Amino acid sequence: MTESIIEVRNLTKIYEDGKVLAVDNISFDIKKGEIFAMLGPNGAGKTTTINMLATLLDLTEGQALVNSYDVEKHPDKVRKSIGIVFQEPSLDIDMKGWENLELHAILYGMSKKDRHPKIKEVLKLVDLEDRADTYVKNYSGGMKRRLEIARGLIHEPKVLFLDEPTLGLDPQTRRKIWDKIKELNQISEITILITTHYMDEADELADRICIMDHGKIIALDTSENLKKQLSGDVIDIQFEKIEDRVKLPQIITQIREIPGIKNISFGDAKGQQDEIPMNLNLPANMPNIDPAIIQARMREIMSNPKKMLEAWNRFPMATQMFLNAPLEAKKRIANMFDDELLEEVPDNIKQEIIKIKKGEYEEEEQDFEPKLSISCESGGKQLPLIVQSINDNNLKIKTVNMHEPTLEDVFLHYVGSAIREESSNNTKNIKKFIQMRQLRK
Amino acid sequence: MSDLSILESRMNYGAVWILAKRELMSFWRSKSRIISSLVQSLLFLFVFGAGITGSVTIDGVIIDPRAFAGSGVAAIVILFTGIFGGMSVFRDKMFGFMKELLVAPVSRKTLMFGRTLGIALQTLMQVAIVIGLGIAIGYFGYDLSLIWRFMLILPIALLASIGIVGLGLIISSRLRDMQSFGLIQTFIVMPMFWLSGALIPFPPEFQIVTMLNPFSYSVDLFRFVLLGVSVFEIWLDIIVVVGFSTILILIGARSFNKMEVS
Repeated sequence: MTESIIEVRNLTKIYEDGKVLAVDNISFDIKKGEIFAMLGPNGAGKTTTINMLATLLDLTEGQALVNSYDVEKHPDKVRKSIGIVFQEPSLDIDMKGWENLELHAILYGMSKKDRHPKIKEVLKLVDLEDRADTYVKNYSGGMKRRLEIARGLIHEPKVLFLDEPTLGLDPQTRRKIWDKIKELNQISEITILITTHYMDEADELADRICIMDHGKIIALDTSENLKKQLSGDVIDIQFEKIEDRVKLPQIITQIREIPGIKNISFGDAKGQQDEIPMNLNLPANMPNIDPAIIQARMREIMSNPKKMLEAWNRFPMATQMFLNAPLEAKKRIANMFDDELLEEVPDNIKQEIIKIKKGEYEEEEQDFEPKLSISCESGGKQLPLIVQSINDNNLKIKTVNMHEPTLEDVFLHYVGSAIREESSNNTKNIKKFIQMRQLRK
Repeated sequence: MSDLSILESRMNYGAVWILAKRELMSFWRSKSRIISSLVQSLLFLFVFGAGITGSVTIDGVIIDPRAFAGSGVAAIVILFTGIFGGMSVFRDKMFGFMKELLVAPVSRKTLMFGRTLGIALQTLMQVAIVIGLGIAIGYFGYDLSLIWRFMLILPIALLASIGIVGLGLIISSRLRDMQSFGLIQTFIVMPMFWLSGALIPFPPEFQIVTMLNPFSYSVDLFRFVLLGVSVFEIWLDIIVVVGFSTILILIGARSFNKMEVS
């Protein structure tokens, strides 16, 4: 068996402020010379793990060995064994490319004789020889990234950590950086630990992939093996109308009944997640009532604002349901409340209704295309049944796509939803900010 | 890990030098910073030198108001350059470069020492320039003793600036956003500046205000070396300046050591 270069045992990190459990008791080994990818949504704990391995953060619990040095007992030796490219840029933009590299080489204790040829070598590797004398502030995003990779290699580390190396780069530059990473791994047999939330990146580069979510490792294997676990086919169905979202939960329940269906995920075509169908799964301890009766009852409530008010005030679940409901449904409900009635509505719902009435969500709505992703044993058998069930509900299908499981499907299978946005509020604010700036011009 | 373990760790002198050089280089390259600090010094020299009429009496000795202002302006250069130099830590934190430094296999002591040295040298150069300007426009008279006075002022400036850089480090290790910058200006830099007696001679009944400001003693020491007169006892000046610098740089070291970059 190949030697391990990184050994992690029961690693845990709890951030002091706010008591956030960022990494939850994880263990794994990375073999010498492999490309190991940590894949997961934002906030899964990937960067925290890397920062602990790079001695930048204290471990709350557990142990980690890098190049057989303990990160807590011999941080300096660990630091000499690793090169790291952080998620955010970490160059001194007021210095030239060469100077950034030279400062790094001196910090890592290289003599003048050694460092000059080495700096030239790494610059050549990332195709930046001719830009060495340019100030870093004049570099493009891709050039900065490449310079950082070069910098991480100067001191000939045993392991290279790449934290989201292609975040925010255009496809061409991404491809270029992938090629460099592969080339590097083949030539120098350096071990590479890469974190990413791009499936294709992990699939393309990594020998083994570790899927993380909520600070835990939920799957770890080669890309091939991960896909094999999802035997059978995946059927993606895209619907024509946004309004159809409202009916999806009902359809999902029906499709689940079809024999041979393994898992259904729900999201839009652009990978945004939506949790309504999950929320509609009634708790197990509920009395066994025919879903049709519940739905009929809900429809009755939802047609009467007075009854809705009562529901919101009495059941917290109703509030949650409203907040998570599809926009179409929310709009319909919002329109039932005039200003006078609105006064009686609980605060958080009131705010939402006001927002909807102002039309704040219009833009998102345009982007939205409802999509179901169904994994099943044998597509040929189940597909007709699925289509029939959709037709029975008078929904219009835009496209149907049946394929073998991709890494994305594996991810969906484990994490239960498409990759979540960092914070939807945040993106919303940024969008607004950009709009405002455009208006001013 | 004890808070001051930073003092026990090894030092990497190659790294200290490159870090100091980086500070000096960044100063040298931002011409606007050099020009603005020169213009500011000239403005102070002019306004407080030529603007105050009559004479200033310190310790019973009557001195030229221009010499009074000249020595004061030279001293406050330390305050401004030192604190804002220490703030470069904050800048590195914002631009992510601090991570690159913290993950390098050198002790934090090395990082801090290199930075402090760089900023102190940078301060020294500016002090030298201001005193040189003052001498050139005849604020200190023309006297051969100015040569040794000038030489003697440099180690004092170095000592005083170490304390101020320490203060800058304390602030910038804790600072989280740009907005707090104004607060520091208002509540730390400005009081230390105006209440030091550097530019305006305080009447004896206000002396207590200057006595409470530790920076006054640096100003006083400057005045003693450049003009030969001082408000406070000279031994008191030395004790306070040495003590103030030691304490601040130690607290600065502690803040720097505890700083976490996420």
